[in-house]
Amino acid sequence: MKLENPVQSLFALLFGLLFLSPALYSIWLSFQTADAYYAGGLEFTVDNYGRAVGQYHFARYLLNSVIVSGIVTVGGISIATLAAYAFARFRFRGGDLLFGAVVATLMIPSHISLIPNYLTLAKVGLLDSYAGLILPAMASAFATFFLRQYIRGIPRSLDEAAYMDGATSLQVLWRVIVPLSRPAILSMALFIFIGEWNSYIWPLVAIGKDDLYTLQVGLARLYRINPGEGVIDWPLVMAASTISILPVLLGFALVERHLVRGITMGAVK
Amino acid sequence: MSSISLRAINKSYDGTTPVLHDVSMDIEDGEFIVIVGPSGCGKSTLLRLIAGLEQCQDGEILIAGERANEQLPQHRDIAMIFQNYALYPHLTVRENIAFGLELRKVPKKERNARALEVARTLQLERYLDRKPGALSGGQRQRVAMGRAIARNTSTFLMDEPLSNLDNALRVAMRTEIKALHRQLGATIIYVTHDQTEALSLADRIAVMKDGYLQQFDTPEAIYDQPANQFVASFLGMPPMNFLPADKVPFWKGDADIEIGLRPEALSINPAGAGDFCLPGRIAISEMTGSDVILHCDTDAGRLTLIEERTSLTKGGGDVLINVDLDRAHYFSKADGGRVNPA
Ligand SMILES: Nc1ncnc2c1ncn2[C@@H]1O[C@H](COP(=O)(O)OP(=O)(O)OP(=O)(O)O)[C@@H](O)[C@H]1O
Ligand SMILES: [Mg+2]
Repeated sequence: MKLENPVQSLFALLFGLLFLSPALYSIWLSFQTADAYYAGGLEFTVDNYGRAVGQYHFARYLLNSVIVSGIVTVGGISIATLAAYAFARFRFRGGDLLFGAVVATLMIPSHISLIPNYLTLAKVGLLDSYAGLILPAMASAFATFFLRQYIRGIPRSLDEAAYMDGATSLQVLWRVIVPLSRPAILSMALFIFIGEWNSYIWPLVAIGKDDLYTLQVGLARLYRINPGEGVIDWPLVMAASTISILPVLLGFALVERHLVRGITMGAVK
Repeated sequence: MSSISLRAINKSYDGTTPVLHDVSMDIEDGEFIVIVGPSGCGKSTLLRLIAGLEQCQDGEILIAGERANEQLPQHRDIAMIFQNYALYPHLTVRENIAFGLELRKVPKKERNARALEVARTLQLERYLDRKPGALSGGQRQRVAMGRAIARNTSTFLMDEPLSNLDNALRVAMRTEIKALHRQLGATIIYVTHDQTEALSLADRIAVMKDGYLQQFDTPEAIYDQPANQFVASFLGMPPMNFLPADKVPFWKGDADIEIGLRPEALSINPAGAGDFCLPGRIAISEMTGSDVILHCDTDAGRLTLIEERTSLTKGGGDVLINVDLDRAHYFSKADGGRVNPA
């Protein structure tokens, strides 16, 4: 896409800045000292980052978030793709019912499943572990539903051609369906990743050990453990927030190129 | 070994409307079979059944003598050219052609060499690095052909593989297919709408209509002894003329009969009345090169025949049409079946 019109460009720039401004402001704030900030002055420092990482374990939280979100994304998108392929292409006993059940779970608010999930994991002893964070998040009903619809849009004759060329059904999936669904799969992977990265309630409930906290839980705790003299140390919180959004921005910048390429490829058909 | 037998195949997609009725065929190893029939008569369905892409409700498919109804398509070792090409849009022409080889773990160098060789035969080597989206219809069709022939299999199913090519290319490709057949000794089952293709390629032709197999025989037998009026009218260009026997003045036999006369059984008779002559009037004449096709109105109905252009004066006029009754076909008026009057 190219913006030729200068008025258009100006508007795009203005809106871009508008949407970016909270993030920019928090980054700006994260480099100031709290004392000067509350006194109405201006004094720069990187000390907030030092404290977030050293005193408040944000490096560890970051690592936890990366591990959990990474595994959930890769595992979740794989499961969703396999399930979507099965629902889109194979007729099997109970298939429609099962797919109906998958769609139905979309209508259940996640908070309702909080307690059952907690009890289940407590029973199998997976609370306070990575597995306890990862397993319940592995199945994405929305990604399954979305990818199934997408795959149904791919002509079945392509599958058939591949079968005639000697492919097994897994080879059809891997060599034909996945490459042709790439934009949808990448979008859903990003969707799962962001959802897991921002997930707060479940990690809060499932984890009680500091060294397994994810960024979101750690961030929320920063308010409570650092009341100061009745005020919150905003520059510190902002430094921690910046640490928590940078990987997402980085990830998006990496994937976005593929997203755009994938979408145009699909259009050439 | 790749003989294929169909035993009383019945097929319906929705369980109520039958698409194939009791179709039985025995196809020998290395035979070139052409299936013809009007649109919607079940030709593609028949191919898909043999390929294993569809299941039949009734009947048996034997491949090399073994029951194959339950065999998965990928295990049948059959190459197929789809009517709608079904090229992989995300792969280049080269990758499309080499896909089957890649699945068989043929080394990259070897399969690219094979793809190039195939592309040469099909005049596609300039497009090897393009994606199918950037090809014309005829080019795509040739890629589909290339994908099938890149693998040396023993059975090919081709669903109208030349329908989108221009005349010169079609004739060239027809020769290629014939050469391929001779060279590989493969069994080929070929669907077409083009009767020249059918008559020139086939060892045997299967004529279908409404899901029924009408006749399955050599091109000569189909042309010379059509089993019924439909087969007679379907093959031959211009098509066979039919006259109700009771309208033909010199007819002395059974009146419940249609007389079928191919254009070559008719001629303009300049010498005057013979024994079997019909007076007529030239309604339309079509120039085809050295010949003209004449459509003449007679009291018995319209007759189409071919004459050399030089033997005729231009324009309309009254003529006498000579009928060669030795070359006539007879069909029952009731069911269209072939009859041989005494
Ligand atoms: N997937 C399907 N579901 C339901 N009916 C179908 C399906 N495919 C084909 N049919 C029907 O089966 C009949 C035979 O179709 P088929 O495609 O075999 O015809 P065809 O002889 O190949 O025709 P054409 O020359 O137009 O390609 C048609 O009446 C068609 O409507
Ligand atoms: Mg067809």
